[in-house]
Amino acid sequence: MIAYDKNLLDNSILLDEAKDLKNAGFISKEQFENIHSQLSHLKTNKNLLVRLGFFLLGCLMYSSICGTLSLTLFQLFQNHLSIILLIIALVGIIGLEFLSRENYFGQGLDDAFLFGFLTSLGAFVGSSTNGEELLVALVLTLAAIITYLRYLHLSSALIACIAATATIAYTSFEIGEITKSLLPFIMMLFANIGYWLSKGTLEKTKNNYYYKGLKLANNYCLILFYLAGNYLVVRELSIILLGTETPKGQDITFAPFFYIFTFFVPVAYILNGLRTRNRIMLWIGVLALTFSIYSIRYYYALLPLEIALTIGGIIVFFFSYFTIERIKEKELGITFKIDRFLNSNTLANAEILITATQMSIKPTAVDGSKMKFGGGDFSGGGSSGNF
Amino acid sequence: MKKLHQKRTQTLVEQDFISQEQASEINNYRNRDFFSLYNELKILLYLSVVMFSSGMGILIYQNIDTIGHTAILSLLLILILVSFYFCFKNFDGFKKTETTFSNPVFDYLVLAANLLSCIFIGYLQLQYNTFGTHYGLATLVPTLVSFFCAYYFDNKSSLSIAISGLTAYIGLSINPTAILDNQIYENPDLTYSALGLGILLILWTIYSEKSKLKEHFSFIILTFALHLISIACIANLFETYWFVFELILGLSIIYFYFKSIESKALSLFFFLHIYAYIGFNVLLFKIIDLLSSFINFEFYILLGPVYFVGSILLFTKQIKNFNKKNNK
Repeated sequence: MIAYDKNLLDNSILLDEAKDLKNAGFISKEQFENIHSQLSHLKTNKNLLVRLGFFLLGCLMYSSICGTLSLTLFQLFQNHLSIILLIIALVGIIGLEFLSRENYFGQGLDDAFLFGFLTSLGAFVGSSTNGEELLVALVLTLAAIITYLRYLHLSSALIACIAATATIAYTSFEIGEITKSLLPFIMMLFANIGYWLSKGTLEKTKNNYYYKGLKLANNYCLILFYLAGNYLVVRELSIILLGTETPKGQDITFAPFFYIFTFFVPVAYILNGLRTRNRIMLWIGVLALTFSIYSIRYYYALLPLEIALTIGGIIVFFFSYFTIERIKEKELGITFKIDRFLNSNTLANAEILITATQMSIKPTAVDGSKMKFGGGDFSGGGSSGNF
Repeated sequence: MKKLHQKRTQTLVEQDFISQEQASEINNYRNRDFFSLYNELKILLYLSVVMFSSGMGILIYQNIDTIGHTAILSLLLILILVSFYFCFKNFDGFKKTETTFSNPVFDYLVLAANLLSCIFIGYLQLQYNTFGTHYGLATLVPTLVSFFCAYYFDNKSSLSIAISGLTAYIGLSINPTAILDNQIYENPDLTYSALGLGILLILWTIYSEKSKLKEHFSFIILTFALHLISIACIANLFETYWFVFELILGLSIIYFYFKSIESKALSLFFFLHIYAYIGFNVLLFKIIDLLSSFINFEFYILLGPVYFVGSILLFTKQIKNFNKKNNK
């Protein structure tokens, strides 16, 4: 099923491991160089920027190939847009197959062809069935699962997850009014099944290759489960999908349940993440909690934004300060000691980038009118109103 | 996860790449009950500083001309003084090389103090016209404070604020969002200042590398310089003297090319290629425009794929080249 040479793929995985060990300082640079030169491996770009660059170039190439083809195709199939889209999708999958036989995996070019294939396939199904959403979602789910199983790109695993969710949603619209209004609970059930299935497979599997994809599906289900019961999501989606405006002074059905859910689930994620040493679950929990606070503030703003930000900042500062003080000396368990396998460089760079975007000193008005400047670009949606 | 890694490490042992002792050391490290919240808590600290200073910034401007503003102003001053006091107290003193606080909390306290002083000075100017009509001074003073924080406390976030202050001084608002919105270069005169500032920044990195003053700052300063110079040049490619700027762009790209290989900075290397590619394509379009009367338009569409394949091959070669030189 997998398109790549098994030997090369195994070597690439080993090389990743060796790189982790080198970065953690367990093996020397010379040792890593030795491994790198002796193991033949797939052509992969680990650096995201470079991969993005190749992705963009790949998109340019893909679209220019399609443009050249279209010159002749338009003359052949003048009124059949869907056939042209199908041919473009075929170009994508043929290009992807060709690249993977040339041992390209996650290099950037192959990502472009994968992306082109999936989008034009979706467009093909959409245009040939007059925008039948359920069918588009279903075809995309299947196509993304197959491309993941064959080419192992995490992006197609993610698309498969999203398309599967869309398929469930559209199916419940088709069935009738009852399933439509029970959508949050159907999604929760779906996320639950997905979570336990992927978790079970993860524990049993000895297969190296699909580990990351399963992990991704597992965490996707965590996020989906939370969002399915989030008060803001439920309320806004019910306006969009069911067309029921919630009158003033009234609340959505099962409102107390959703209020409790919105706060209970993130806290459960955080505690469970800490208990089981699951970093991703912890992150999802913290982000979910932030979103929960935003959700409630969206409807019930108890404090004006600037006061909420100031007080929130003080609380978060002292919370982290005292946590650091408490766990600073601990060697084991939950600690503030640096993990050799985790890279904190990326974080530092992200901080500088955020500071550069959000906190720059603004130029003064040259014309001498009343000017506005100071430390921080406070206008616009850049600053998040989470607290 | 652990089992999978253990298996892989074992395979490395079996293939004679690492020794059994190394493997057992690695396995011991992995099998401990160890959960580091180092990164997570640092992010929280950073967010708290950003939140607090943003909140303060809005709060002050909203309370201008009310009774509370003196109170807020004095509160702000006290906060700044207290923050700086703790920073100075816990800092070992200035060194030319890279230094850190023993506790990373203070890095964020420096940032907070820096941001708050910028707000404070901005407010003073707005309310009391402290610097009169010397509007330049009103941006220069916060910039100097930021430079001081950056160089004294070795704080890279302060450095980026300081450089943005410099660009503000010449009248630009430079940050990544401004670049994306393309709002920077509406005024051609500004592009000349931007070019000059970019060159000054390069000169400053040369000086600081010679005198070994915070050499690890060079990367950030050079990143700013690259974007300033390149965007200023590209903006001028559509003006009358475009060939001059094509030349300047080319020269700066060559400089950054060698610099990025020397300092092993892949992101510089990447962005300079983007700018070089844009510059080259503009040149190409000018040539195509000249030849438009001779050559058919469809010819170029057919040539498209060949051109992109060529670009990809060239880019691949460059990246390989970079990795090769980097590994030496």
